Amino acid sequence: MEQWLNQVFITQEVYVALAVLFFTSVLFLLFRLFRRTKSNTIVLAGLSGSGKTVLFYQLQDGSSHQGTVTSMDPNEGSFVLHSETSKKGKIKPVHVVDVPGHSRLRPKLDEFLSQAAGLVFVVDALDFLPNCRAAAEYLYDILTKASVVNKRIPVLILCNKTDKVTAHSKDFIRKQLEKEIDKLRTSRNAVSEADISNEFTLGVSGQSFMFSHCVNKVTVGESSGMTGEISQVEQFIREHVKS
Amino acid sequence: MLEQLLIFTRGGLILWTCKELGNALKGSPIDALIRSCLLEERSGDSAFNYDAAGASYTLKWTFHNELGLIFVAIYQRILHLLYVDDLLSMVKREFSELYHPKRTYYEDFDDIFRQLQKEAEARAEEMKKSKPQAKPVESLTKKEGQIANKKKGVLLAGKEKVSSKDDASEGNHTNGHKLENGNSNGRELGTKTTHADVKKSVPESGAFDVSKLRKLRSKASKKMDTFSKAPKVEQNKKTTKKNRVWDDSPSESKLDFTDPMAEKGTEAVVVVDQGESMMDREEIVSSDSEIDEDEEESGKPDNKKRGWFSSMFQSIAGKTVLEKSDLEPALKALKDRLMTKNVAEEIAEKLCESVAASLEGKKLGSFTRISSTVQAAMEEALLRILTPKRSVDILREVHAAKEQGKPYVVVFVGVNGVGKSTNLAKVAYWLLQHNISVMMAACDTFRSGAVEQLRTHACRLQIPIFEKGYEKDPAVVAKEAIQEASRNHSDVVLVDTAGRMQDNEPLMRALSKLINLNGPDLVLFVGEALVGNDAVDQLSKFNQKLADLSTSSSPMLIDGILLTKFDTIDDKVGAALSMVYISGAPVMFVGCGQSYTDLKKLNVKSIVKTLLK
Ligand SMILES: Nc1nc2c(ncn2[C@@H]2O[C@H](COP(=O)(O)OP(=O)(O)OP(=O)(O)O)[C@@H](O)[C@H]2O)c(=O)[nH]1
Ligand SMILES: [Mg+2]
Repeated sequence: MEQWLNQVFITQEVYVALAVLFFTSVLFLLFRLFRRTKSNTIVLAGLSGSGKTVLFYQLQDGSSHQGTVTSMDPNEGSFVLHSETSKKGKIKPVHVVDVPGHSRLRPKLDEFLSQAAGLVFVVDALDFLPNCRAAAEYLYDILTKASVVNKRIPVLILCNKTDKVTAHSKDFIRKQLEKEIDKLRTSRNAVSEADISNEFTLGVSGQSFMFSHCVNKVTVGESSGMTGEISQVEQFIREHVKS
Repeated sequence: MLEQLLIFTRGGLILWTCKELGNALKGSPIDALIRSCLLEERSGDSAFNYDAAGASYTLKWTFHNELGLIFVAIYQRILHLLYVDDLLSMVKREFSELYHPKRTYYEDFDDIFRQLQKEAEARAEEMKKSKPQAKPVESLTKKEGQIANKKKGVLLAGKEKVSSKDDASEGNHTNGHKLENGNSNGRELGTKTTHADVKKSVPESGAFDVSKLRKLRSKASKKMDTFSKAPKVEQNKKTTKKNRVWDDSPSESKLDFTDPMAEKGTEAVVVVDQGESMMDREEIVSSDSEIDEDEEESGKPDNKKRGWFSSMFQSIAGKTVLEKSDLEPALKALKDRLMTKNVAEEIAEKLCESVAASLEGKKLGSFTRISSTVQAAMEEALLRILTPKRSVDILREVHAAKEQGKPYVVVFVGVNGVGKSTNLAKVAYWLLQHNISVMMAACDTFRSGAVEQLRTHACRLQIPIFEKGYEKDPAVVAKEAIQEASRNHSDVVLVDTAGRMQDNEPLMRALSKLINLNGPDLVLFVGEALVGNDAVDQLSKFNQKLADLSTSSSPMLIDGILLTKFDTIDDKVGAALSMVYISGAPVMFVGCGQSYTDLKKLNVKSIVKTLLK
C-alpha cells in the first residue's frame, strides 16, 4: 500500500517536472522567435568625427552634455527616445548602437549589423569634400555586406551638422556619394571578381549608380546633433522600430 | 600649471573637465592621443606629445577599465610637471567613487579636484625639498642601474637617465625612444620608468595607503627584473643580426632574372599569360584551421600560486579584480607565443603592455579564466592593429589619378635581396589584368644587372620600360620616367629602386631625394616575411631617414607594405604584425610564390588566428 502510494507520488512528480520543462522551453523558443522577428536595434555608423556620439546622446538624453571625444568603444543603450518620454502610454524602447568610426574599429560593425532593424549612416556635411571618398568607401562596404543585402536593412544617409551655414545640402551629398560609389563599383568589382561569397554587386550594371537601385531602401536626411534637430532620425527610427 | 584635465568614457562622452583651468586647448590633442596612441596599442607608454600651431603639450593618462573611464591630463611640455601621475591616480580613485553609469554631470567633483590638486602640488614640493632624505632608496636603484648600464645598449640609455636622476625632465628623452609610428602626429615617450621612481621618494603622507605602497614596491622590483634581463636581450639581438645573410638568389626561381647572362636568351621571350592574379581570388593567406580554445588553454601554465580549487571557486564566483600580477603569467605566455610566431620582441612586449593597461582593474566575469580574458583582449588588439586605416584599394586610386590626367606613381623601396623587382613585376601583371597601362622605371642604377633584370620582366609582360642605364641619379631618372608616362598616357608608373641597408646614409639620402622630388602616390616598402627583430629596425629607420632627410614640412613616409616570400614561412607570420605596428601602414600585397599570379591580399582575420595559435 505504502509502496503503491509512493509510486504514484513519484510518477506524478515526474509528470509535473516534464510539464514544467516543456512549458519553459516553449516559452523560451517563443521568446527567441519574437526577439528575432522584431529587432529593435538601430545602428549608427559613419566616419570618425561625423557626430554619431553626439547624436546618440541627443536621442537618449536630449542633450550632448559637455561634448565628446573620439570613441574607442561602441555606445549602446536601450531607451525610449527622449522626445517621446513625455508621451503617455507604453512605448517600446529602441536599442541604439553607436559604432566608432575610426577605421581600426570598423570590424565591430559586423557584430551589430546582424540584428539591425535599420542603419543610420552619418555624414559630416560641413567637412564633406575632404572626406567624401572615405565616406563613400565605408558606405560602399556597408551596402555590399551580405547581412545588409540579404536582410534588406534600410539605410538612412544622414547629413549632419546642418546648423552651420557652410554645410552642404543633402542633394549635393547624395549626388557626390553616388558618383564616388559608381567609381568604386568598377574598381572593387575588379578586385573581387572571384569572391562572390561576401560581396554583392551594387545597382544596375550598365547604368550609373543611384541609391534607388539598391535592394534595400536607402534614403537621405538632414540633422544637427549639436542643436538637437534630429526629427528625421527619429522618424526613421519609428518607421522601422514600431512603438 | 596643468592645462586641462578631462574624464571621459571609452564611448567618447566627456564626463568632467576642470572649468577653472578652462583655457581652450589648441588643436585637438585628445583626439590625437586617442587616434595615434591609444588606438594604436601604445597605451602602455607613459606620455604622449602633441604639437599644434603655437602649442606643444604633453599628455598623460590612466584607465579605469572596470568602469570604462579614461583620465587625461594635459600640460605644456616645457613645464615638466612632476605631480601629474600622482594626481591622475588620485583623481581616478576619487572619481570612481562618485561615478554612476547613468550620471553625466559631476559638479560635485570640482571641489574634490581642487583639493586633490593642492595635495599633489604640495607633495611634489615636499619631495623636491626632502630629496636628501630619500637618498638611500635612490642610491640603491642607482647602483643597480649602473651595473646594468655597462652592458646596456643605446636603447635603454634614455630610460636609464630617467631613473637615476629623479627630477629628470621626461620631455628630453624622446631620443631614447625607438619605436615610432611614422604616421602619428605626436611622438610618444619611453616606458613607464619615471613613474615608480618619482613616487618612491615621496615621503609617506596621509594620502598614501598601504596597498598603494605595496604596489609601488612590486613595480620597482619588477623594473629591476627587466634591468637584469635586458643585457641578455641585447646580446641575442646582436647575434641574430650577425648571422643574418641576405639571400640574394632564391633557389630555382622562375622569376629571377638577376643574371645578366640570361639576357642573351631573350630572343625567345614568350609573352606571358599565366591567368588570373591571385589578388583577385578569395585568398586565405595562411592555414585557416580553427583554434580549439580548450586545448590551448590546457597547455598554458596557470597561476601556480593559487590552488586549483580556489581558482575554480573564484571563476565560479566571478568578480575578481584583475591586478597586474594576475595578468603577468598569461601575458608572459602570450608574449612567448607571439615571439615563436616571429613577432619582434619589442613589439610583443609593447602589445602586452597595452593589453595589460586595458585589463588592469577589470572584474573577471564568472566562468572566465584569466588566460582566456587576456587572449580575447589580445585578439581584439591584433585585429585593430592589422585593420588598415587607409584605403588599400589601389585600383580606385589609380582611376582617381587617371581622371586628373596624372600617372599614378608607386615607388618600391626596401633592403637588398627582398624581391623588389620580382614583386614589382607581379604588381604590374595584376594591374595589366585590370586594363591599366603600366610603365616600369628602372631606377636601380646602383646594382649591376638590375636594369636588365627589370627589362626581362618588361619584355615578358610586354610593357614599356624607362631606363637610362647606370651611374645616373635615380631621382632624375624617375622624374623623366614620370614625364614620359604622362606623354604616352600610361596610367601607372612602377619605380624600382636599389635595395639599401637602412644604415647606409648616402643611399638613404638618395632615396629621400627621389621621393621628395617626385612626390609618388604610394611608397611601398618591400619586406621579407622572414625577418624577425630586424623588421622593426628596417622600417623604423627607413621612416626615420625619410622624415629626417626630407626638406618639406610634411615628409612622405612609407604608406604601404608588400610582404614577400610569404609562402616560405609556414605559421611564422609575425613580420606582418611587426611591420604594420611600427609603421602604421597596411600590408597591401603579399607575394607568395614564383609566378606572376602569386600576389595576394592579406587576410587579416586568418593572420590574427595564426598569431594566437
Ligand atoms: N556644428 C556641429 N558640430 C557637430 C554636430 N554634431 C557633432 N559635432 C561635432 O563633431 C565632433 C565629433 O562628434 P562625435 O559625435 O564625437 O563624432 P563621432 O561620429 O562619434 O566620432 P567617432 O566616435 O570618432 O566615430 C564633435 O566635436 C562635435 O562637437 C553638429 O550637428 N553640428
Ligand atoms: Mg563617437
